[in-house]
Amino acid sequence: MSESVLRASGLRKLYPSGDRTLEVLQGVELAVGAGESVSVRGESGSGKSTLLNILAGLDRPDAGELWWGSEAAHQLSLGELTARRGRFLGMVFQSYYLIPELDAAANVLMGARVVGRAGAAERDRTATLLQRVGLADRGHHLPSQLSGGERQRVAVARALMNHPAVILADEPTGNLDERTGDSIIDLLLGICAEEKAALVLVTHNPAHAKKTSRQLALKNGQMGHG
Amino acid sequence: MPWYFYLALKQLFPSGRLSFITAIATIGIMLGVTLMLMVTSIMGGFGFQMGRMIIDTQGEIQISSPTPIDASRAAAIEKVLAAAPEVMASAPYLKGVVMLDHASQPAFPFIQGFEFERMKKVIPLNRYLLAGSLDDLDDDSVILSSILARTIGARIGDMVSIYSPLMLERMKRDDIMLPREVRVAGVFEVGHQQLDSSTVLCSLRLMQDLYGLDRQFHGYNVRLQPGADVAAVASRLNQALPPGVQAFTWLESNAEFQSIITFEQNMIFFLMAFIVLVATFSITISLLMAVLRKTREIGLLGAMGGGAREVALCFCVQGLFLGTVGTGLGLALGFTLLHYRDNIVHFVAKLTVGQETFVKFYQFSALPAHTVTKDVVFIIVFTLIASTLAGLIPAWRAARLKPVEALRSE
Ligand SMILES: Nc1ncnc2c1ncn2[C@@H]1O[C@H](COP(=O)(O)OP(=O)(O)OP(=O)(O)O)[C@@H](O)[C@H]1O
Ligand SMILES: [Mg+2]
Repeated sequence: MSESVLRASGLRKLYPSGDRTLEVLQGVELAVGAGESVSVRGESGSGKSTLLNILAGLDRPDAGELWWGSEAAHQLSLGELTARRGRFLGMVFQSYYLIPELDAAANVLMGARVVGRAGAAERDRTATLLQRVGLADRGHHLPSQLSGGERQRVAVARALMNHPAVILADEPTGNLDERTGDSIIDLLLGICAEEKAALVLVTHNPAHAKKTSRQLALKNGQMGHG
Repeated sequence: MPWYFYLALKQLFPSGRLSFITAIATIGIMLGVTLMLMVTSIMGGFGFQMGRMIIDTQGEIQISSPTPIDASRAAAIEKVLAAAPEVMASAPYLKGVVMLDHASQPAFPFIQGFEFERMKKVIPLNRYLLAGSLDDLDDDSVILSSILARTIGARIGDMVSIYSPLMLERMKRDDIMLPREVRVAGVFEVGHQQLDSSTVLCSLRLMQDLYGLDRQFHGYNVRLQPGADVAAVASRLNQALPPGVQAFTWLESNAEFQSIITFEQNMIFFLMAFIVLVATFSITISLLMAVLRKTREIGLLGAMGGGAREVALCFCVQGLFLGTVGTGLGLALGFTLLHYRDNIVHFVAKLTVGQETFVKFYQFSALPAHTVTKDVVFIIVFTLIASTLAGLIPAWRAARLKPVEALRSE
């Protein structure tokens, strides 16, 4: 177990829905090894985003354990989780959520600013990451001047800014056409491998799922093989 | 630079320019501050001008006694005055009420008798003299206030009759005393309705005759060196003066006037503060709009590891910044308008009622202004606190947003 960088066991999440409660997660087991890539598929409403948010420490499970490396994340408050999140993991969403007032480079650097560092080393890393995602000459463009695929590349670079151990990606190609989506997945897998970051990829696309080293599926609140 | 500070600046100045909404909110604060500064300065100007006029007509300190001051007490008082280094000049006076008659036009003015040579050093009468000359004044002439002269139709050189209360006293003893015929030697105007409508000035000698007081006075007007602490000097004089004789500061002898002025100023300040308060609502609204527009980005900041407190600070900083810039611009505009206030007033007067009507209608031909540092400091502190509080509501909303929910909102 010590080699898994992200581990969840017995995760349960309930949502009150009218007079009944909706049990979205009913004891999810998940262990992601360092540098491993895992895909999670599942029907709409099966709880994929709910799970990812819990793994990210944005939401608390009603029961179960969550380990970030050797740290017992389930014992931390949301505030403590927030304080550790920026260094431990990076997130990529279906909508890119770039800050519209900041140009591409500043958006990437924001990842470092939020955790308190924006020095020369971080600026170098910004340039390196932008180069890696193929936007070396677009650093000074505002999000509104970039295409959807280019914005998602910026979001990927931003997620990797602080050398995270884990990248959590929630349908990162959901807003993109097929070819652009394929290239984003290739970029994400490639860059995570280079950076030795583990990747949890939530996707509807079987072809994208196949590219990860392990395929899982969320069904009836439980994690199974995809 | 902390990230929330950086982001606040970036949101205020997207791509280096001032955002439109930011500009509107700043203008709101600016106008509020300008108005507050101008109104309090002009109110202060009227109060200041009134105060100066009172000092010009009475001196800073009046020394008086319930019973007429005879020669021996006068000598004691003058010794005390001579010993006080802050006293620049002093002059004895007598005051009372008489009936004035000119061409069967009667009036009942206040009358004050002065020893003119000494009085000139206490009261700059020359400055307020409209016609005639102080040098023509003798024991058989008077100076009338402007409105009084107009009402009874008296001009320079005309003869007027003065009837004093002493005549009634004599009449009771079947003693007939004829009215005193005097010449009008001058007309003065200080710009104060009450003083200008019924005041007669004459020599101490004439007044002593009218009131039957031989070499006696009612009191002294005292002028201090510029910058002297009036209240302190008055209290020191009071310790030294003979019993029954008291020194009053001009503020004490005009306490009623002062309390009205202070009340009016506080009232205006209070009302103006509301205007600034309403102006800060524009900050609240513009930031609240930003929070709503940026809900998902705020969620993302949380997902990147940004704390709720820092997110809130990001918006507080914006509120404080808008308040600071608005206050700065407002003070600049306010002081500029105050500097050119007479040009503006004359321009408006010309456009509307005409210059003369304006001057006649209002007591002062030029708009006075007197800005007190304390008021400016209050305006600044008040506006900055109000703007920061105005940013607090949006900030609190932003901080309360849970990243999961913020990210989920579409
Ligand atoms: N805050 C909430 N309150 C109540 N119910 C919720 C809440 N968040 C999610 N749910 C419910 O939990 C279930 C799982 O939602 P979730 O967003 O995790 O699904 P998903 O697998 O990501 O779906 P999709 O593929 O459409 O993104 C849904 O039925 C949803 O309605
Ligand atoms: Mg989802």
